[in-house]
Amino acid sequence: MGRTFAVGICFVFGVLMFVQYFSPHPAARTVHRTVSEYWQIIFAFGLLIGVVAVLRSNLRQLRWGSDRPYRLVTLCGLAAMPILALVWGRGIDSPFMWMFENVQAPMQSTVFALLAFFVVSASVRGFRARSVPAAILLVSALLILLSRSALGSAVLPQLSDTAEWIRNTPSMSARRAILIGIGLGSLTTSLRVILGIEQTWLGRRS
Amino acid sequence: MNVETRHYAFLGLFVCVGLVMVIGLRPGVPVTADTQRMFAYIDSLPGGSTLMVSFDHEASSLPEIQPLALALLRHAFSKGHKLVGVAFLAEGTVIGYRLMQKAAAEYGRKYGQDYVYLGFRPQHVAAILTMAESVREAFPQDYLGHDYNEIECLRTVDSLGDVAAVISIADGSTTTYWMEYGQSPERLLVLAVVTAAMVTTYDPYLASGQMHAMVGGLRGAAEYERLINRSGGGERGMLAQSAAHFYVIAMIVVGNVVYFKARRKRAAS
Repeated sequence: MGRTFAVGICFVFGVLMFVQYFSPHPAARTVHRTVSEYWQIIFAFGLLIGVVAVLRSNLRQLRWGSDRPYRLVTLCGLAAMPILALVWGRGIDSPFMWMFENVQAPMQSTVFALLAFFVVSASVRGFRARSVPAAILLVSALLILLSRSALGSAVLPQLSDTAEWIRNTPSMSARRAILIGIGLGSLTTSLRVILGIEQTWLGRRS
Repeated sequence: MNVETRHYAFLGLFVCVGLVMVIGLRPGVPVTADTQRMFAYIDSLPGGSTLMVSFDHEASSLPEIQPLALALLRHAFSKGHKLVGVAFLAEGTVIGYRLMQKAAAEYGRKYGQDYVYLGFRPQHVAAILTMAESVREAFPQDYLGHDYNEIECLRTVDSLGDVAAVISIADGSTTTYWMEYGQSPERLLVLAVVTAAMVTTYDPYLASGQMHAMVGGLRGAAEYERLINRSGGGERGMLAQSAAHFYVIAMIVVGNVVYFKARRKRAAS
């Protein structure tokens, strides 16, 4: 009974959102906006569940003694930001914003910058011309890398043209094919979910 | 600690980038057609035109986004355009405000008169659809809590149809929503300022004309800085990026030489 009800709701809202997209009527926009606002509320509850899950998991691990310092930092961070926001607000000069600008933002940028080191490691160990397609990919990557660097395009002006051709012809064709593939895949999956053929999102049958 | 080959490779990258930064080379970057197109559009707008700047990025991409955004904001402020800032990702909110504040101060632009920051609005699809009808409804107050009706530079802005273009500064797919939901009712002109990794994602939109112009990555920032005749983070970042690129190329070549030597050895034995 519960599953049928959920599939029914999914069908009604799926069809409603599909139809409103093609309608220029102001009522269609109001429907979209209202549903989106409800989606936002559901998302907020989802976020809350996520926070509780992180809290429970870290507390359990803390008790068992694995990676204690890291767990403590996670929990302190999880507690500190809401406390700062609740006590001093989230204004532009608040401690919350200070923490964001001086702790979170630099840390996130640092983690992102670490990617460069992983790229180097991968380029030494994995980027090999093992076959003809791999060799084509390798040469294209080298040309693009050279063209994106300041010296490469300054020394060899034709390099920019070649790199642009790679970007605008083979790369864009592949990108378009991927986009169309994603679109068709999303369409069929959405239809299967709306029509109740695909029910894995409801979890296992008890 | 076990020192492996990859640790030497990491050290090599660090030394390579560090050395180039210390020496402080200033390589010239030729300007590409994409960057020129963006520059030409902003340059050709009559002074006092209103542009909406959407900060659709997270803090992790700040080193790449900051020089790009600053170069563009500086150009827009230098031409006397009025800027309306918004953010669709919570993390980009304060970053966007600081960047606008910094660029505006350099050109003596006043908050409220020459630029305004409306702040963050969750659920970007709903926000864009609402803004297409009424910006006031989506943002009744600005980021600092001023009432929409009291802000001077917003007097001529009722809906998205009243802005010349939207500049989406993004490190993800949010720019797509500006094109999908902003363009259909209002024929909104979308300009993109994106990280290098996102350039190929948006290339089809640029080629089809759904996106008017795009500047991407540190290279784009360096090119734009050259166009506005003002050195900045793009040029410095380009130096580090170029050094890292050359190092990666060298590593790929070394890796392949080692691989082919080993393969030949295996075939011979």
